[in-house]
Amino acid sequence: MLLLPFLLSLSVSVPAQAAFSLEVKGVHPSLYQKYVPTSSNLWSCLDESRSIPWSSVNDDYCDCPDGSDEPGTGACKNSTFFCVNVGHVGALISATRVNDGLCEPQCCDGSDEPTGICPNICDQVGIHHRALLEQETKLRKTGSKIRASYISFAQKEKMRLEAVVTSAEREVTAQTNELARIKEIVDRTESLSAVALERRKSSPLFKSLESHSELLESLLILHKNQRQRLNALEDILSGLRTGYNPNYQDMAVLEAVRGWEQIAGLHHINDVQKGEDEGGGEPLPSDGQSKISDEIERKVESVLKADRVSLLMEHEKYVDQTQASPNLLNLSYIPQSFAPAFDYIRSFASAILGYNPLSSDAASVSRVRQLLSDAEAVLREAEDKLRNVQRDLEDLFKPDRFGKDGEWKKLDGLCLEKDTGEYTYEVCLFGEAKQKGNSDGSVHSLGHFSSWKRDEEVGTPDYYSRQMFTGGAKCWNGPQRSIQVDLSCGLDNELLTITEPEKCEYLITGTTPALCTPLESWENVKDEL
Amino acid sequence: MRSLVVAAWLLLLLPTRFVVAVKEQDFKKCDESAFCRRGRTLAHRAAEHVTSGEKWKSPYSLDASTIVLEDGGSRFTGRVRSSLYPEIKFELDVRVHEDGVVRVRMDEKEGLRKRYDEAASWALLKEPVLSPSSKWSVGKKEVKVVYGEKKDQVEVTVEFEPLVVRMKRNGKDQVVLNGQGLLHMEHFREKVEENVKKLEATDVEMVAAEGEEAQKVIQLPPNAWFEGDTEDGLWQESWRSWTDTKPKGPESLSLDINFPNHGHVYGIPQHATRLDLPTTKGEGAFFDDPYRLYNTDVFEYLASSTTSLYGSIPLIHAHSADSTVAVFVSVASETWIDVAHPTQKSTETHWVSESGILDVFLLPGPAPDQVFSQYAKLTGAVQLPPHWSLGYHQCRWNYVSTNDVRSVQKRFDEEDIPVDVFWLDIEYSEDHKYMIWDKKNFPDPVDMFNDVEALARKMVVIVDPHIKRTHDYPVYKEGQELDLFIRNKHGSEFEGWCWSGSSAWIDFFNPNSWEWYKSLYKFNGRNDGKWSWTESTGAVHIWNDMNEPSIFNGPEITMEKDSIHYGGWEHRDVHNINGMLFVNITSQAVKERTTPYKRPFVLTRSFYAGAQRFGAMWTGDNLGTWEHMAVGIPMVLSNNIAGMSFAGADVGGFFGNPEPEMLTRWYFVGAFSPFFRAHAHIDTKRREPYLLAEPYKSIVRETLRLRYSLLPVWYTAFRESTVTGLPVVRPQYVVLPKNEPGFSIDDQYYVGASGLLVKPITEAGVTETTIYIGEDQVYYDFYSGHAYRGSAKGKNVTVPAPLERGPLLIRGGSILPSRERPRRSSALMKRDPFTLKVALSQSGSASGELYLDDGESYGHREGNFVWREFVAESTKKTVIISTKDLGSKNPDRAVDGVELATYNGGNAFANALNGVRVERIVVLGLKNRPSKVTLGNTDLEFIFEGGVAAVGKKEGVASKLTVKNPGAFITSDWTVVLGL
Repeated sequence: MLLLPFLLSLSVSVPAQAAFSLEVKGVHPSLYQKYVPTSSNLWSCLDESRSIPWSSVNDDYCDCPDGSDEPGTGACKNSTFFCVNVGHVGALISATRVNDGLCEPQCCDGSDEPTGICPNICDQVGIHHRALLEQETKLRKTGSKIRASYISFAQKEKMRLEAVVTSAEREVTAQTNELARIKEIVDRTESLSAVALERRKSSPLFKSLESHSELLESLLILHKNQRQRLNALEDILSGLRTGYNPNYQDMAVLEAVRGWEQIAGLHHINDVQKGEDEGGGEPLPSDGQSKISDEIERKVESVLKADRVSLLMEHEKYVDQTQASPNLLNLSYIPQSFAPAFDYIRSFASAILGYNPLSSDAASVSRVRQLLSDAEAVLREAEDKLRNVQRDLEDLFKPDRFGKDGEWKKLDGLCLEKDTGEYTYEVCLFGEAKQKGNSDGSVHSLGHFSSWKRDEEVGTPDYYSRQMFTGGAKCWNGPQRSIQVDLSCGLDNELLTITEPEKCEYLITGTTPALCTPLESWENVKDEL
Repeated sequence: MRSLVVAAWLLLLLPTRFVVAVKEQDFKKCDESAFCRRGRTLAHRAAEHVTSGEKWKSPYSLDASTIVLEDGGSRFTGRVRSSLYPEIKFELDVRVHEDGVVRVRMDEKEGLRKRYDEAASWALLKEPVLSPSSKWSVGKKEVKVVYGEKKDQVEVTVEFEPLVVRMKRNGKDQVVLNGQGLLHMEHFREKVEENVKKLEATDVEMVAAEGEEAQKVIQLPPNAWFEGDTEDGLWQESWRSWTDTKPKGPESLSLDINFPNHGHVYGIPQHATRLDLPTTKGEGAFFDDPYRLYNTDVFEYLASSTTSLYGSIPLIHAHSADSTVAVFVSVASETWIDVAHPTQKSTETHWVSESGILDVFLLPGPAPDQVFSQYAKLTGAVQLPPHWSLGYHQCRWNYVSTNDVRSVQKRFDEEDIPVDVFWLDIEYSEDHKYMIWDKKNFPDPVDMFNDVEALARKMVVIVDPHIKRTHDYPVYKEGQELDLFIRNKHGSEFEGWCWSGSSAWIDFFNPNSWEWYKSLYKFNGRNDGKWSWTESTGAVHIWNDMNEPSIFNGPEITMEKDSIHYGGWEHRDVHNINGMLFVNITSQAVKERTTPYKRPFVLTRSFYAGAQRFGAMWTGDNLGTWEHMAVGIPMVLSNNIAGMSFAGADVGGFFGNPEPEMLTRWYFVGAFSPFFRAHAHIDTKRREPYLLAEPYKSIVRETLRLRYSLLPVWYTAFRESTVTGLPVVRPQYVVLPKNEPGFSIDDQYYVGASGLLVKPITEAGVTETTIYIGEDQVYYDFYSGHAYRGSAKGKNVTVPAPLERGPLLIRGGSILPSRERPRRSSALMKRDPFTLKVALSQSGSASGELYLDDGESYGHREGNFVWREFVAESTKKTVIISTKDLGSKNPDRAVDGVELATYNGGNAFANALNGVRVERIVVLGLKNRPSKVTLGNTDLEFIFEGGVAAVGKKEGVASKLTVKNPGAFITSDWTVVLGL
């Protein structure tokens, strides 16, 4: 297709003396030698499909199927026109622009229209163009210095991470040894009391404890799923309430909104007094409950984590002794309305934790077991840390992550904001993007960083000109929110414009020095493409 | 346990299925509307009488002694009595117009109140001129008038008892009013309390009641045989949560209009259904409910239904191979129309309106062309639109910012896809205060307009009729100060809910609103210094949406009928006209905002008879489905035959995301609609043609280029329509009115008189289709030149229909002018040369027309235009192609209904076109290669590709002669001779 050529102003400067040596209007200099008549004054279409009289070239009638006989008129829809633009750079435009009454900005010499219609403004355009070029060069020069500092940051970061890796590796080794040592002790201790343990394990109390634990675990999973589900439903209903279209008086929707408002204790969204801002930010009644649920889940989890075998060992120590229950679950902030459920949980937990004395040998077994599980946890932590640091180190110079020079590492997690009046948009590079309501405090995720620009070759400047964030909060009756952040070279990391070209799909433009490569190398890349 | 939970979670994640269809219960059926119920049961009683062998006689009669001839005898008046209410006075007024149209009016005189009688004053272009020669004569049983040529005489009789109006041609009934005795004009009355009513009832009739108490006798009122035995919703009517208080009581109107000799009826738009109206009554009726005319904003309307839509034109065509007639019922209130075919060759229709006088126009035809000109004489023809408005319109709800508009324009140009107009939907405005920019996203609207205009393009911006009720909105503030808003039943400002939230509506029936509203469009400021839309330019034209009016919290999404308009009329009286007044005043505003005036473009969703004078219409919020794409074609045809020639359906469908194949086919439909716009709902994915993948993008680009290359054809078709009232797109029965098998065809149509016959594909996966050729003529495939032969009886031919070539034929005998150079917008083509495509007929001749003017001023009304005819004639040895001026021959019927006295071929516009060439003449169907082709003494260069000749019976690719650069200019006379 002829679409791209006229967009790229060719950077070939045409020497003035060459331009008029073989003048067939509109022909690109590289094809001058093809526009020569034969001795019998004939000429072949460039695709060689037809031979036509030389007088048919540029006679404003399309003879050649490939349009090559009319490089200087608009007669062939598939041809192109080259304007020489002496004093500036030449440009190739589509034939659809020739003799259409408009002076094309690409053809500053006015040659795309009949003589006398468009003035030759190449001198001014040339000056302006060069000034722009200079400005761009300057910007890129300064910007590339900042970029260079990002690269050296990455280098330092590399060294730092390497040091962390080394120390983490040492830590892992040390912890591995420690664990081995404790294991030995446990094995020894346990072998002594294994028989006793087996007997105790068959006690009805322990069995009941086991099944309670299993049930509690199941309930916890169920509870978490239900909470997730409840949250999702509340989100949907809140989205419906703020997003529904009062159009068409859809009673089913209206009833759903009103029902939700009643349950959630919100006022009706359309009852707002004129001039008053819609206060969508009232806390949902479930917020308080959510805190309590979090607390209870945390407690239940810690209860479930307890090593029941150790407890069993310790149990003997307490048999026949009376002692007050520990006040593990005395949560003073639990409101009255929640008391019954809480009581139930407390009695359940106390049943498991009910302290009873254990015999002394059992006590030592239990103690070493605790040591063992502690040591295991420490090792896991050390290994996790090592893995994370190693990954960070790998990512540092990965082209599809922070670039092969690591120039983006400096911006990892950098959060940029833009206030549009109604909303403030926050984009954390390589992290999450959010839309925050300025009046109601609402926050919607616009997605997490998922990739650089697709369909571009990894590592090219174009590839890094776009960050995609996907998988944000779902729109009511719409897709999951997503955002495209288009970046260009600039001295500051900042967001410039924000639009929503399609519902719940946002487009942000911004600048960053990370894209400021020196102009020369940028041009080289462009030429290579 | 976990797996169970996960399963439940998955269920929750399943996407919610949306019910995609109109909520039928949001809109009334006939049996939910009291007056429709009363009208339909009246028809039912009449039918039962007849089947049980009893006589059914209309209670209405004309009192012969009261007849007075007026206006030199072309008009008479007389008193009509109803035997049901002998004391009530009805007056009949029947006139013959100069073109033979008969107008029948009936009103209640000296009644308790006044019926609304102004509908015609809004619909009609001007007061029709009465016939100077036709005279009524009063006989013993009837009043009669006879006119027309001896061989083809029209006789109209008004029979005294019962009152029947009959129009005959050559002794054959054409139209009969009240032939079934369903005429009923409910007179105004005082509200009578229930117990009083019972006392009044007499014991003329005794009927056994149903049920166990079989012997219980109830007394019936004397008029029960006609009106029924119960009062049904006369004084108050509740529907869903709304109550219509009906302070004036019953005032409905019932009338049967029969066409005893016509088996096909068309018109009464707008409904989503076939062009040849399916029946609603009688055995095997296609629909259950009558066609309804009540302008409503129907969300996701059904693709086959009698439900009312956004606009109403109470005009019906009745057609047979013998003749075509039409009836225009000038009524503005809610109207229901039953259609039945008692036999294949006859039609009965029954019209029930809620209020207003009886005002019926009988259009005698006898051919479709005459019906169109008779109707155009009444309500006006379409106005010549600005030329650019025939280009491609790119719309979306919404282009979100000035930069968005700029980048859409840039993308079109990068892809070299032509487009003339970019549209802004409601979100440009701040809080839906139309004309007030949302400066966050549209900080520089005037610069944006200028950037668009720099490429010779325009913009259309939406201005809806709901006015946000906030005093920081100058339109509301001033409207309130001037007291111009419609009132509610209590007499205070009507408040309803629409896009802008709490809103008011300007009452355009109030003459005080007119100059004020027009002044709002003065972008150079108002004389009185008050607010006007200064952030606008002459490149901005207007879209009027939601003018039914659409009111979200109103009954049937519109205004309460007991709301009050200027002059004290209820909204029920004027509802169907209301939307047209808005577009009427908007088009004047846009026209008059500059000096000299420029042609306005205004798109309206709501319309009524006469709205063709004010702008274009579209078929509203269609769905992106094949079904909706298909029904859009008969809908556009139906609007065209009812005067609204400048019509189109949204390409791509408003709702939904059409797949690429569907969208590609839809562009072809659009390219062959008078009004060509792509539009999309805010919830849809963007689908501008440059976003399509290949091959779709290239196909759509070529389709758009095809539209642009044929703009001369479209503009010429519009010229004709402005003078003759003929539709711009013409169904089979209009072009070939004698060819019976074509009468129900509505999926193919002709473009003006150009000879282009198009059949858009509206199904997936099609590679070929059949086209019906209803005459003995050769038709050429537009692309390949393949010659197909029709027959006098009609014949189906199979033509290829690949995605890239929508089926398109050229009728033999046509000459098509086109401009083949693709440009970015239509205005950039104005100096481009023409190609003439000569499609020889079977007798070796052809003709065609071309009309051109500057496309945006009113200079054409002063003779600044070019209007030419091209003719090809064959002799044994030659084919002669020539052109001559038509303007000087027909200055009085050149364009826009302006009767110029003379035409000067050297007018300023024509001079400006000097030097614009005919670059190519293509001749299809020559019998052999010409020995030479000459213009004057000059031998012309040509290429000949052999093939089938027009003469004869052969099918196959026709011969094709291409004459290069004949040296002929488009504005001058010339003759090209092909020596054979």
